[in-house]
Amino acid sequence: MCWRRILVLLVAAVAALALAACAEVREQGGGQQGGGEGRQGPIELAVVPKAVGFDFWETVRQGAVCAARRAEGEVDVQWDGVAQETDVTGQVNLLQNFITQGVDGLVYAATDAKVLHDVTQQALDQGITVVNIDSGTDPQPENVPVFATDNVAAAERATEYLVEQLGEDGGKVAFIPFQPGTATNDTRTEGFKNVLKENPQVKLVAEQSSESNYNRALQVTEDILTAHPDLDAIYAANEPGVLGAAEAVRSAGKAGEIIIVGWDTAPDELKAVREGVVSALIAQNPFRMGYDGVNAAVKMIRTGEQVEGGDTGAILVTRENIDDPEVQRVLNPSCKNPPVEGQ
Amino acid sequence: MSQTTATGERRRTLGGVLREHLSDLVSQLAAAGALIAVFVFLSIASPNFLTADNLFNVGTQTAVTAVIAIGMTLVIITAGIDLSVGSVAALSGVMGVMMMVDLGLPVLVAILGGTLVGALCGLVNGLLISVAGLNPFIATLGMLSVARGLVYIVSDAQAVFGTPDSFRLLGQGVLAGGIPIPVVVILVVAVAGYVVLSRTKLGRYAYAIGSNMEAARLSGIPIRRYLTAVYVISGALAGFGGMIASSRVASGQPNFGMGLELDVIAAAVIGGASLFGGQGTVVGTLIGAFLIALIRNGAVLLDVNIFYQQVIIGVVIWLAVMWDQYRRRRLAAASE
Repeated sequence: MCWRRILVLLVAAVAALALAACAEVREQGGGQQGGGEGRQGPIELAVVPKAVGFDFWETVRQGAVCAARRAEGEVDVQWDGVAQETDVTGQVNLLQNFITQGVDGLVYAATDAKVLHDVTQQALDQGITVVNIDSGTDPQPENVPVFATDNVAAAERATEYLVEQLGEDGGKVAFIPFQPGTATNDTRTEGFKNVLKENPQVKLVAEQSSESNYNRALQVTEDILTAHPDLDAIYAANEPGVLGAAEAVRSAGKAGEIIIVGWDTAPDELKAVREGVVSALIAQNPFRMGYDGVNAAVKMIRTGEQVEGGDTGAILVTRENIDDPEVQRVLNPSCKNPPVEGQ
Repeated sequence: MSQTTATGERRRTLGGVLREHLSDLVSQLAAAGALIAVFVFLSIASPNFLTADNLFNVGTQTAVTAVIAIGMTLVIITAGIDLSVGSVAALSGVMGVMMMVDLGLPVLVAILGGTLVGALCGLVNGLLISVAGLNPFIATLGMLSVARGLVYIVSDAQAVFGTPDSFRLLGQGVLAGGIPIPVVVILVVAVAGYVVLSRTKLGRYAYAIGSNMEAARLSGIPIRRYLTAVYVISGALAGFGGMIASSRVASGQPNFGMGLELDVIAAAVIGGASLFGGQGTVVGTLIGAFLIALIRNGAVLLDVNIFYQQVIIGVVIWLAVMWDQYRRRRLAAASE
């Protein structure tokens, strides 16, 4: 981490020197933004996920690249991210590096809502257009749109499905969060617990974090199964949690007996749905986040008009609907037939 | 700090040698005492703890940390440190999996290949330290970053799935009698580590280098060669540990092993390895690794709030090392 920071600082310093000459021009360009006057010519966008290394963020990248390719005029997307979603400082440094570089727009997912607000402000002050995807900041500046999943609503729908599957008698459920304290984790928790409150027949017996690590999720689920041999269901809040839970349930020989409902749609998660190990997955639309995010940034830079953010939607993938074209379009997005509105 | 020089001078007398062995034993006893205490507590607190299934689970869960920690013990004995093991494990785990998925190599060859990738990283560490003269902390800190970067480059930051079913055996297989293969792996590596430390030149030289590098040099030990070998072994075991971790989840995970170095170092230190060098044993390290795994296992069984688990492990490290130093000081005082 330390190493990375030094590297980032060095790069930032070099970039700052190199760009010192054109700094004035940049400020002028940015200054026009509020006046409703647009800017033509090539646009340079930095798209920064919470972390690299997950399918989800890779799909965001595809969406971002697709939007840039389809946009009018030249739009250049620079993609970079930190290694771990917990590396808030690393992301701050990275974004500041892009700000120093003088990109035209910043499309990013905030690893920490409060901390990253300062960085957004810093970018806005320099006349850089900012768009949030997946996770916004707190407070969210009025001129920064957010394109994200309504996590609470999606979690409620998934938990209702889980409760339905358990039937009238209810049962014991375990919960695998991934990073308590982060907005995404906590909104997914909120939706889950909202529904549990209305359904007292379903009892939450264990809550253990996967730390967003497949191996850790596996261990935690193994131990939960040991502590509660009569467990009926598991709700996992992201990809490593679902994979770990599925693997643990499988090797305990309880595949199909324990209902697993969780988030994200990595290839092995979908395979587990087909095999019946996982009952339902909440599929977000990361492609659309990247797509809408870049489109909004381009539009705001070109026209100077404000763009409204929006819910990018979520669907519940089960064994029954996994091959429906509508579901497949979200699961295997392509730039030819992107899962976005107005196509 | 002053203890190390004192230890170095004392070493030459027969009594000193005896005390060395005694103090190793004592620190193992301290860690073993803690292990037994946690074990008894969990047996009482959780009805599901003391079952064969759970104990085998704990054994399986310890494997990665324990295997890598045995290599780390060797490094720490030479007064070095290897901060790169987590990243190296991830790189080896992913590359090993890619060897079977993309190149179609047989599972055993790929496991060996992954281990070799680790050994290669270890070789670079060793050369940077012994030939280029970098401090072990810096050399391996660099490798921590290099290996993590490389794993993202080779995998394009994507998890690699699609391993053959037989690969699951290493991390998930079970022998007759329900004994998990990872537990057997721990035993094999531990016995090998024990033999290397106590019966080979490499082991004896490692203690000598860690106790007093200058004295070791003067007595004609080819320090460069042996120091390099120590890091190669640590890298190879990190690589092998990475393959076990990959097998556990039947995939190569580029994000695996972040912070693993801390658990591994903690296991060695709890087991009585001294960061000043010259001290440490395989048995002690195994006890340390099991203690950490037990605490994590118990925390889940008792559904302890996730935030407290980190605190508990940190406190255990403090207590283990404080107890160890206290015993050593008393031992030293008694012999004067």
